[in-house]
Amino acid sequence: MNRLWTLGILVIVLLAACGPVAGSGRPKITIAWVHKSLGNPVFDLGSQGAQAKARELSASGPYDVELITAGPVSADAVEQARVIGDLIARQVSGIAVSCNDPTACVDPINRAVAAGIPVMTWDSDAPDSRRFTYLAIDNYQAGWEAARLLVDAIGPQGKVAMLTGVPGALNLEERARGFRDGLAAYPDVALVATVFSNEDISRGVQGVEEVMQAHSDLRGWFFVGMWPLFADRGSMPLWEAATQAGTLKTVALDTLPVELNLLRDGYLTALIGQKYWGWGYDSVQIVYDRIVHGTSYPPFIDTGLDIVTANNVDAMIRSWETNDFQTPLPPP
Amino acid sequence: MARDIARSTSPPRWRLLVARQELVILALLVVVSAGLSLLTGNFFAATNLLNLARNVSWFAVAAFGVGMVILIGGIDLSSGAVMALAGLVSAMLLQSGLPIWLAVPVGLLSGALVGLCNGVLVGIFNTPPFIVTLGMMGLVRGLTFGISGGRPVRDLPLAFRALGQDDIWVGPLLVPLPLLTMIVVALLVALMLRSTVLGRYIYTLGRDERALQVAGVRTERIKVVVYTFSGLLAACGGIIMTAWLGVAAPTAAADYELDIIAAAVIGGTSLFGGEGSVFGVVLGALLMQVVRTGMVLLGFPTYLQVGAIGMMIMLVVLIDNFRRRGLSR
Repeated sequence: MNRLWTLGILVIVLLAACGPVAGSGRPKITIAWVHKSLGNPVFDLGSQGAQAKARELSASGPYDVELITAGPVSADAVEQARVIGDLIARQVSGIAVSCNDPTACVDPINRAVAAGIPVMTWDSDAPDSRRFTYLAIDNYQAGWEAARLLVDAIGPQGKVAMLTGVPGALNLEERARGFRDGLAAYPDVALVATVFSNEDISRGVQGVEEVMQAHSDLRGWFFVGMWPLFADRGSMPLWEAATQAGTLKTVALDTLPVELNLLRDGYLTALIGQKYWGWGYDSVQIVYDRIVHGTSYPPFIDTGLDIVTANNVDAMIRSWETNDFQTPLPPP
Repeated sequence: MARDIARSTSPPRWRLLVARQELVILALLVVVSAGLSLLTGNFFAATNLLNLARNVSWFAVAAFGVGMVILIGGIDLSSGAVMALAGLVSAMLLQSGLPIWLAVPVGLLSGALVGLCNGVLVGIFNTPPFIVTLGMMGLVRGLTFGISGGRPVRDLPLAFRALGQDDIWVGPLLVPLPLLTMIVVALLVALMLRSTVLGRYIYTLGRDERALQVAGVRTERIKVVVYTFSGLLAACGGIIMTAWLGVAAPTAAADYELDIIAAAVIGGTSLFGGEGSVFGVVLGALLMQVVRTGMVLLGFPTYLQVGAIGMMIMLVVLIDNFRRRGLSR
């Protein structure tokens, strides 16, 4: 008998708790925001941006906008396809996804579109799929800017090197191509080495030190990703010594706190950042407009770049501390 | 009885220290190094040698354990994941305020525990080591993501980083601390393989498990011990790597298990068991690193470097094959 009472009370409490939501009478829109992997701080930031936008839209519009953040634990294309399959089964209203693999993403995206769910990509595209738009930086432009910033720092002559991730990764190859083309305008700047980190911290560190060994007169580095910068000071003695002597300048992609601190302390010359917050904040708006207003978009939306130098690094550090990425950055 | 068999089937002592394949690799290493110093001019620069030593030492320490597993005719695919786990466990404990003398041993213990599980599954439950350690690789990698929330652990104490970054004066020579650690561990493992009954059992187990069993040796216990050692030594390598980088990432050392196996095989460890030495593993690891560094120093086309390493592995194994055939004739 006692147990029955407890159960009864529990049911009433649960119903009461559900009541206001179930009874609000407002139509609901569920948007799924799918990242590449867990635990990457840039995706955490994007997810917060997505949640902020969902809250804003719920508060201002006629719909309750529910946001689901989902994705594989590690950057695994198969697991991501499974996640998208689950979202189709849940009949979400729209999906925004950063693809682990451009080809593996095609089938799950097309199945979602066939089920009447509009899909867009952000950060990493699946160009052969039926996604309605792609929101990201122009990777080629990012590499080109890197070349400009590096030449600005070292002058129009000298040896430079490039560290990239995995051979064949579309976005990295585009950045590398932009960098090479950017350097082409300076015939006295020679790209003497390109090394791969395999997206691995210790391989990245080893590659940088090996190139420093091979070219003691190296003037500049372009890190296409931030792999070796995850390692703490002391792990790249040659790079550090040349940097501190002022003979070597480094430009890198991304604007994570680790890198911002290195820039503030004089180890890096410039950083080229992506709009991590916007990956969530802007893509949820785009998917919402597509669902509600049927807005059409061009196949590619350029987010623009965040260029950070010693002149505006403090503002960027403040953005991370206060989680405010909507205030525009001061000029570099 | 068991002792006699172990003694009668164990190779002569000099062979354990420097078997023939080791000599071949040593010669190859000398040739490659000499060629590199002629072509680049800065191969024998002190900074390059220190850099090489630092890169090889932690990797070799991890490879000693896997080499032992291959000696008994097994395989350990979980070593890369164990390296990441041990580094992460130590780093997280250090961040929570634990002193180094506690955080490092607990990290080592985590690796030994994984090895023990491998050993029990392979030895006691008779499960194929390829499957057991493949599963363990996934399980441990998942664990590293689980305990870290996928985030790298940074800002480790300077005293811990010294384990991987500091150089120490040994007489007139400035020697990286990781290299000293590697030498000490190598001597201990070599001594164990060379001069203890367990060491002889390990060699015999790889060649003729039945003989040991007939002699009344509990071979399953030897397997448990060897896999535990493999976990412990992988953990040791992983912790030195973490100290050197100053960061523990859940994704660290991904795919290193294959490089480790390659280093052991290049150094003359037979995948069929019973043949190999600590010295050979060091040489194998060194040769891989020298070739890798050499390609960067020479400015070898970047996109082809990956393939070159693969080709070197096949070449060395091929040379070994011809050498064996020549010997047996």
